[in-house]
Amino acid sequence: MKRILVIDDAATVRLYHREILEKAGFVVAEAINGLEALEKLEEAPFDLYLVDINMPKLDGYGFLRALRQLDVPQAPAIMISTESSASDRQTALVAGANLYILKPIKPEQLLLHVHGLLGEWHQP
Amino acid sequence: MALKKGKPTPTLDIPGERQQARDLDGLVQALQADDPLMRRWAARDLTPHPEAAAALVAQLRRETENSVLQVILTSLTAIGDDTAVQGLIDCLYLEDAMLRNAAIEVLKELPDQVAPFMDRLLQDPDPDVRIFAVDVLESLRHPRVEDWLIEVISQDPHVNVCATAVDLLGEVGSDQAKAALASLKQRFADEPYIQFAADLALKRIEAE
Repeated sequence: MKRILVIDDAATVRLYHREILEKAGFVVAEAINGLEALEKLEEAPFDLYLVDINMPKLDGYGFLRALRQLDVPQAPAIMISTESSASDRQTALVAGANLYILKPIKPEQLLLHVHGLLGEWHQP
Repeated sequence: MALKKGKPTPTLDIPGERQQARDLDGLVQALQADDPLMRRWAARDLTPHPEAAAALVAQLRRETENSVLQVILTSLTAIGDDTAVQGLIDCLYLEDAMLRNAAIEVLKELPDQVAPFMDRLLQDPDPDVRIFAVDVLESLRHPRVEDWLIEVISQDPHVNVCATAVDLLGEVGSDQAKAALASLKQRFADEPYIQFAADLALKRIEAE
């Protein structure tokens, strides 16, 4: 089963994503900020990351930049944000996101994106 | 930074430290020194000088060294006057997510000082700024937090501002939030996340 790491400081958001993804058969782990997410990487690799932008300690951009520098199996990342400006999208993609989508996201949209990215992902 | 073995233990007399006058003018000047170490010392030593808040805020906006940035934020927290708070609030409008988040974390520590600004922040025309204002409320120990959140979910037209507020109401909401949560569900009837978060908040309130 594919493993997904949900990184968001809002507990309700994590739970919302967890329920959608678990119902679809994914194994879900959670992290409350970028730093905790980096620690989780030491436990086991993930197949996909769902990343919020604004989080204390280490934000989503910082997490992605760090992730992409690490010598770990890489995986696609979806940045999910409330911020709609073109510069946020650009920053996210440059930092290492594969997709940038806006909150609030409907369950079917989330699963469409997740399946799409997992289907087309090839380890570089 | 880790020290290499075999090097002498450094003393507190660090090169670059306190080479300029330690009066207000000297410290403000040192705050713009090329050497980050000098800037860090200056930022620290300006803590007892509320009149330096504007200079600290200005440096906060241009500082590139994270360790200096942290000291500036600590000094601004300690000063905590209107200039310092306004300077931190201005960071909510920046593109720099790291600085924005750092400002949010500091503002959370200044409940009484932030409170007079909160009504205006929650009415800001930019929904992102209103979301950051709700983020500040997250651990702001202030008696009006629940009232502000209820006001947001009752009036704010933007779904993500309401979504951020409802997340928080799930943690701090009481019986008085129930009617507003029910109205929110009606207002955003086609948004599954709002339904989920409002139901969760209502369940938590009922359980208490």
